[in-house]
Amino acid sequence: MHSLEHIVGTVLVLFGLFVIGYYLVINGGYFILHILALFELRDDVRESRWDPPFRKFASPFYPGIGIVVPAYNEEATIVESVRSMLTLNYPELEVVVVNDGSTDATIERLIENFDLEAVDAEIPFDVPSEEIHEVYRSTTFEDLIVVDKDNGGKSDALNTGIWMTEMPLFCAVDSDTVIDRDALLTLVKPFLEEPTTAVASGGVIRVANECTIEDGMVKEVTLPKTGLPGLQVMEYLRAFYSGRLGLNRINGLILISGAFGLFQTEAVREIGGYRHDTITEDFDIVVRLHRHLKETDREYTVDFVPEPVAWTEVPTTRRVLGRQRRRWYRGMVETVVTHWRMLFNPKYGRVGKVVMPFFVAAEVLGPLIEGLGYILLPLAWYFGFLNIEFFIVFFLLTTGLGVFLSWFGVFSEVWSFNRYDSPWQVLRLLWYGVLENFGYRQWKTFVAWYGLVEYIRGDTTWGVMERTGFSTEDD
Amino acid sequence: MPDVTAFGYVVPIVIILVAVALVVGLSLAVSFYLTISLSVYRSVKETRRNRVRPALRDELLSRLFAESPDWNTWAEELSRTERVVVEELLDEHLRELDGRDADKLRELGDALGIPEREGRRLENGHEYARLNALTWLTLLRRPEPYLMSSFEPETARERAAAVTLLQTTNKLSNTEAAVSMLLDGTNDQFTVFGQDTLYRVSRGNAAPLIQTASDRWDQWPEPLLVQVLAVCAHLETSVSTESLEWLTAALETEHAAIRAAAADALGSFGWRASLRDQMFLERATNDPSPHVRAAVYNMLASWGDEQALTVLLFALVEETDPRALTLGTTALVRRRERIDTDAAAVLGNAWDWSYEHAEYDQIARTGSAEALRG
Repeated sequence: MHSLEHIVGTVLVLFGLFVIGYYLVINGGYFILHILALFELRDDVRESRWDPPFRKFASPFYPGIGIVVPAYNEEATIVESVRSMLTLNYPELEVVVVNDGSTDATIERLIENFDLEAVDAEIPFDVPSEEIHEVYRSTTFEDLIVVDKDNGGKSDALNTGIWMTEMPLFCAVDSDTVIDRDALLTLVKPFLEEPTTAVASGGVIRVANECTIEDGMVKEVTLPKTGLPGLQVMEYLRAFYSGRLGLNRINGLILISGAFGLFQTEAVREIGGYRHDTITEDFDIVVRLHRHLKETDREYTVDFVPEPVAWTEVPTTRRVLGRQRRRWYRGMVETVVTHWRMLFNPKYGRVGKVVMPFFVAAEVLGPLIEGLGYILLPLAWYFGFLNIEFFIVFFLLTTGLGVFLSWFGVFSEVWSFNRYDSPWQVLRLLWYGVLENFGYRQWKTFVAWYGLVEYIRGDTTWGVMERTGFSTEDD
Repeated sequence: MPDVTAFGYVVPIVIILVAVALVVGLSLAVSFYLTISLSVYRSVKETRRNRVRPALRDELLSRLFAESPDWNTWAEELSRTERVVVEELLDEHLRELDGRDADKLRELGDALGIPEREGRRLENGHEYARLNALTWLTLLRRPEPYLMSSFEPETARERAAAVTLLQTTNKLSNTEAAVSMLLDGTNDQFTVFGQDTLYRVSRGNAAPLIQTASDRWDQWPEPLLVQVLAVCAHLETSVSTESLEWLTAALETEHAAIRAAAADALGSFGWRASLRDQMFLERATNDPSPHVRAAVYNMLASWGDEQALTVLLFALVEETDPRALTLGTTALVRRRERIDTDAAAVLGNAWDWSYEHAEYDQIARTGSAEALRG
């Protein structure tokens, strides 16, 4: 009995020391990322506030962009979404809607509203997707192509669009994403300034819940009043303004949100498009681009533009959010396992040596270690190995630092684009930064463990996102 | 709680924890205070501006369309907040208006003392302050503060902004000077504004740019060369045959992006005797990169004469990459009225596909496919 107690004690003490060391390294890393992000944001904000005196629409130097919109059972919203995309401010635009075997009237709505006619000629090149039934062209909108195909999932639909567009750049967008009118002009900047090396760029995705949307545009930005979407606003701000911006400073961006990202069409075709057998295709595609371009020894950049460009609805219930986060976690593990050879591999430059290992330590292992801590703590207390005073001080310090890093994201938002322009909203955001540490954060560790179990079991389900719809002025 | 020993000193862990707690607590307090203060400051400022904006807009427009706007009197009456809003409105309208209305508005800029202020910023500000100063002077068409200052544009952005100012105010001595300001002593790539500026100054007289590129193209880094080639691709102006030798040389470099951009540029200069060289065209149409071959097909279609289209047709028949073939047939469809061969029979499905899409483009643009059918 004595020796069992000794073993348990040793394990607990070693685990405690490991957690303290781990905590110092990860938070040190986050702190450095935040500092890098501030420098990056300062430069980007200065640049975004300078509007050079030339007429953008008269300039012939904007490369053509094909917006690829996968649509599955979107009959209620597809017409408005497509209309909104056709009116985006960009000189050379093509919208490719891919009806991914919808079982509702999505294709009929599109045919009726955009005067579509089927193209008789066969497609003269191979498209790596499920069978395509028809390609439609509009007799009223020159820039619209609609493809009707068998259901093959989001990646399959995206690949169809990527192979069908003839534009040098393509923009992957969810059909329910609300895009700012000038979003493409913003997102294309890296491709204009680095025409031979830019392969992808992503912007800031914001939470649209409770914002007022009119004619496909966000008219009024409101912070969600309920806790769960509000907490996600806080998370999005932290992720975009700190994580991605900091990684961009060292050309180490490994994730561009699937809701809205711009890619060099040829580069994505070269790697075979999006993978069908992954549930987080947006993460996988960026990692594969890094991998492929490094392996072929090409100079390239993957850029992040910190201006808010697109808006998306986030889950409002714990059940749906849990399902979404479990899927994200499974996808993250899957992508890391698929590309494990990149870890600590100098062949992949900074991405392999620093970014991927840090990402795995912080995002993949972080919640698991934290979750394990919540189980071991009561054990340590039971066996008398827990110094309660030390634990309380340590918990308060880690929470304090976590809050500080979250507030850093809020400060970045206020300092830069200030879309939540009321101080009351900002105060609430700061409150969410505190609140998330009590219950929400612990719940996320449980979700991560659950996601890991699902991954081990081979679960590949997507789950359904239940949407409540956007507010309009009439509401 | 235990003590910690380091470098021969024994420190109680409580002391360490208290010190860390103080740092974290202080950081929290400072970040909270900064965030809220900044938010309140920006909110108050924005609310005040929004409150006066509609009335000021009405006043500005009514004065603009009045016989005598009397900007000086109005400018003297404005509070600090109102001046900021009027400047915002002035910026917005100057970007939209042309002609006499714009000229009249520019006098408001003088009344507000903007040229003098921006002249001072040119001398003292950081890069973006200088860029904003050059932008104001361009919008107001007031080059004097720039011409009288000791400021020398250094970065690619500043050079483009200075050239734009001089060009819009007719103070550019000649195109050579503009091209020299934009390209001399730098290998930095352009922003789209810089690229557009180079295009605007070279549109009337392409020779200085072509000459500069001819002299230095092989010293430029790849991104800058591709940008210059993209500018050349849109110039559509005549230059002497010998000036194009650098373009044909660029079409044979090892970088596919440069070769494709060179093909685009050659497309805009027309069909010339020096390029009829069979060997040259054979090499171009047999380029290992399908992306470059597609650009070469476009080049041949842009030239559009019988010989070029014959070469294009033969190249497409031999083409093995379906994507390059489709892009080539799309280019050829644009010139279908000039070819006698039954392209549909020779090119099959790719031709049908490109032709039908060209028809739909035509219908969407004009409501009829007649023009395409001829």
